[in-house]
Amino acid sequence: MSYLNKAAMRSKTGFWPNNRGTILGIAAFAVVIAIVPFTASSSMMNIAVFSMIFALPAIGLSLLMGLAGQVSLGQAAFFAIGAYTHAILLQKFEMPGPVAAVGGVVAAMLAALLVGLPMLRLRGHYLALATLGLGFIVMIAVREWEFTGRTTGIYGYGRPEVFGIPIDNNGLFFWFVAPFVLIGLVLALNLTRSRAGRALSAVNDSELAAESLGVNTYALRVKVFTLSAGFAGLGGVFYAYQVQIVSPQVAEFHVSVELLLMVVIGGLGSVWGAVAGAFIVELLSEGLRDLIPAIIPGATGEVQLIGYGLVLILVIILLPGGLYQVVKTAWAAITRRRADAAAKPSPAETADGGSGDVPTRAFGGLPGEPPAGASLDEATDAAASAPRIPTVSTPVAAGEPILVVSGLTKRYGGVVAVDGVNLTVPAGQIMGLIGPNGAGKTTCFNMITGAIAPTSGTVRFLGEEIQGRKPHVGAEAGLTRTFQNLQVFSSTDVVGNVYMGRYRKGRAGILRGMFGLQGREQYAHEEIARDILDSMRLGDVAGLAAGDLPFGRQRMMEVCRALAAEPALLLLDEPMAGLSGSERELLAQLLRALRDAGLTIVLVEHDVAQVMALADSVAVLDDGVLIAHGDPESVRNDPAVIVAYLGTDAEEAEAELKELEEHA
Amino acid sequence: MTDFLQLTVAGLSQGSVYALLAVGLIATYTVRHVVNIAQGDYATLAGLGSISLVTAGLPLPVAILIALVTVTLASVLIERLVISRVKNLTTLVSIILTLGVSTLLQAIMLLIWGAEAKRLPAFPGSDLTLGGVSIRSQELWMLGALVVVGGGILLFYEKTRWGKALRASAEQPVAARIVGISPAIASMLAFAIAGFAGAAAGVVSSPIYLSIWSGGLLLGLKGFVAAVLGGLVSFRAAIVGALLLGIIESYVAGYVASGWKDAVAFFILIIVLIIRPAGLVLRPNAVRV
Repeated sequence: MSYLNKAAMRSKTGFWPNNRGTILGIAAFAVVIAIVPFTASSSMMNIAVFSMIFALPAIGLSLLMGLAGQVSLGQAAFFAIGAYTHAILLQKFEMPGPVAAVGGVVAAMLAALLVGLPMLRLRGHYLALATLGLGFIVMIAVREWEFTGRTTGIYGYGRPEVFGIPIDNNGLFFWFVAPFVLIGLVLALNLTRSRAGRALSAVNDSELAAESLGVNTYALRVKVFTLSAGFAGLGGVFYAYQVQIVSPQVAEFHVSVELLLMVVIGGLGSVWGAVAGAFIVELLSEGLRDLIPAIIPGATGEVQLIGYGLVLILVIILLPGGLYQVVKTAWAAITRRRADAAAKPSPAETADGGSGDVPTRAFGGLPGEPPAGASLDEATDAAASAPRIPTVSTPVAAGEPILVVSGLTKRYGGVVAVDGVNLTVPAGQIMGLIGPNGAGKTTCFNMITGAIAPTSGTVRFLGEEIQGRKPHVGAEAGLTRTFQNLQVFSSTDVVGNVYMGRYRKGRAGILRGMFGLQGREQYAHEEIARDILDSMRLGDVAGLAAGDLPFGRQRMMEVCRALAAEPALLLLDEPMAGLSGSERELLAQLLRALRDAGLTIVLVEHDVAQVMALADSVAVLDDGVLIAHGDPESVRNDPAVIVAYLGTDAEEAEAELKELEEHA
Repeated sequence: MTDFLQLTVAGLSQGSVYALLAVGLIATYTVRHVVNIAQGDYATLAGLGSISLVTAGLPLPVAILIALVTVTLASVLIERLVISRVKNLTTLVSIILTLGVSTLLQAIMLLIWGAEAKRLPAFPGSDLTLGGVSIRSQELWMLGALVVVGGGILLFYEKTRWGKALRASAEQPVAARIVGISPAIASMLAFAIAGFAGAAAGVVSSPIYLSIWSGGLLLGLKGFVAAVLGGLVSFRAAIVGALLLGIIESYVAGYVASGWKDAVAFFILIIVLIIRPAGLVLRPNAVRV
């Protein structure tokens, strides 16, 4: 059965409902833009023009902070590179405006690529401080270089013309910039909701999980960083036109602070917020420049900085979500009041279910748990009707090796966690990997999936050596995993989590995402995600925030997410832990069905009885060494295994093992 | 050759300022995982503050002492009023927050002391000449400050129970608490050390390198470059890195062009981060944070 066709048929989502917010917002903004030049005073018009110019780098910075989770303290550097390149191309090379503008944007993006490629490999503070350094380098370079006009800068180029009309006043210039801001807004909004945008917010929730689903975090971050610099460069282009002289001041650090402040005020990662922030900061700046010299006679220079510093600190401490958070809270309050008003006729109902979208956490049970009324019979009934299995891809004939691990070793200082493990996993089987606590199972697992690099040894998946590569490399080839400690994407709902599993099946990149040309693909994958959830009886909680699910169902959701990737090899790290009896039964049944459909499964499990019942072959690790490997029966009777599990006395141990199994 | 030695001396004295700032940065980074962008502003604040006190008629040592104490307290106050107020101090948030503090401090300095650079009178002592190389007494004061303050902080961390606990609290907050140091105290102590080291750097360098409201950012950033050379954890490597940075800057200023001097640090930063992100001393595969 092809999921894609089915999804296309069932798709209820469409262009309008999905883009209503954006379209209405943009339309309203466009109306405001059209009116402003007729109503604003000349000083306000000046502020409005600069707000629009700075909105562009602010949008870029907001994408960087919201999506890539990184901050640039040198956004002004890219802004300056755009401005200088544009001005130089116009003045020294007499290029036509549009060409010079493209040059400005490209130059800024190239600079970002140069800094981003090395810096984005590192996590933490490095990008921020490297961009801060870049800001200084750019400022020093333009100040010292004859070509950039040293301290005087570049001037003497013409104003822009559109259809022969020179853009020579603030009103016209406002209209001149506005379309670019509007387009930039749409592109940025599209991007945040695109495949790449959703992947990046997943990375911010759990980098490991996202990478294990095939997300190449580094590449995406580099792209977003470059894009963000492109927005800054475009802003610089308009700045050069507007001020008619580009001097080293444009690269000054306080410009970067100003841009950062716009994003922080607007709300980290909110694109609309960044635009609103641009207007607020420009107004604030202008107001402070008038106000402070009035209060403190003789104050000159960048006096507005005092407001910037205060507002930055206060917003982060008191209102970390910025304006976006305020608007969201207010909107939620309004809709709740409306819902309350609608429910008024029956006051009893209001008291009970009036809280709208908030799931009730009364004694009836946690959200997402099966209704209390559902008896065990029903549950097993549903299980008996066998879960519909997602598509399984089998690139290797059954019995052929799909994963070959040889000499796999991990040392931490003097401690050998895993010591020379050799293991071949044939396609189409379930292999269990068991061992006592601390035997190195999860370490092994992490080396196979790329979460950690082995000290030595090789991991061949489908003939390709993948040891030491990032998790997304194996994931792209069809190796997917779940986690012992759940790695849930908590910023999205359940279906959003499973949708992320579809990442490797999608193709839309950042460009297609920005231009909104991936709607169909995205809906199709969301439909598949819903199908998988339905088949695993999680369909009723698809819309809940993933973090609100009870533990067992989060685990099932992770399995769904891994299956959504249509892997060739599924690695499950203690999938049974925390599941209820019926959930275990359902999962075991599903795994068998998947195996029969051709999927290869490796599971690390604590529950020996489960593994023995489920697996076609069992490998046993003890103290980092593989001590046994074979079919469940022979492993069960292997004296070494019994000793490893239960101490030195083999006979006693065997008895205990039996007891343990019976218990389970 | 004389030129070369002369530049080396100038570089070493300038490097000792970066070293003190790097020490301060590492102190707060190890405990709070905050790269304090306001670190360099402590230096300017102390410099400008002591200048005002001297202008008001106080003797130089008294003015310096008051400036050191005030800036140390200010740093603790910043920790209490700003840094500790944020529950979920992610990297992103800590950068924005300390940037806010830095901007605020700079703006306050601009409003109080104006936009002009100011100079503290030189410390007592006479300049000496060794083999044609003249060494200003203030340069000896700068190196001396590094030896006394930097060395003192190093001794504190390595020899005293509190210092060891402070290091431990960076690794193991729970264990540190058992030893008897609460995370809040550890954090305040780290900020006090950072404030003191920054202030010391500011007062000793002011007679030669002047104090200006906006100068702290660049100073702090160079301290950060030095701290990165120490992998953001090793005081010793950071101090060595800072002295090297000072010397290289001095050569660039002397042999290339003085205008480019300030760009050197960032080229070094980028090169080091590409080649050895874990710093000069740690194994390359050690934890990258």
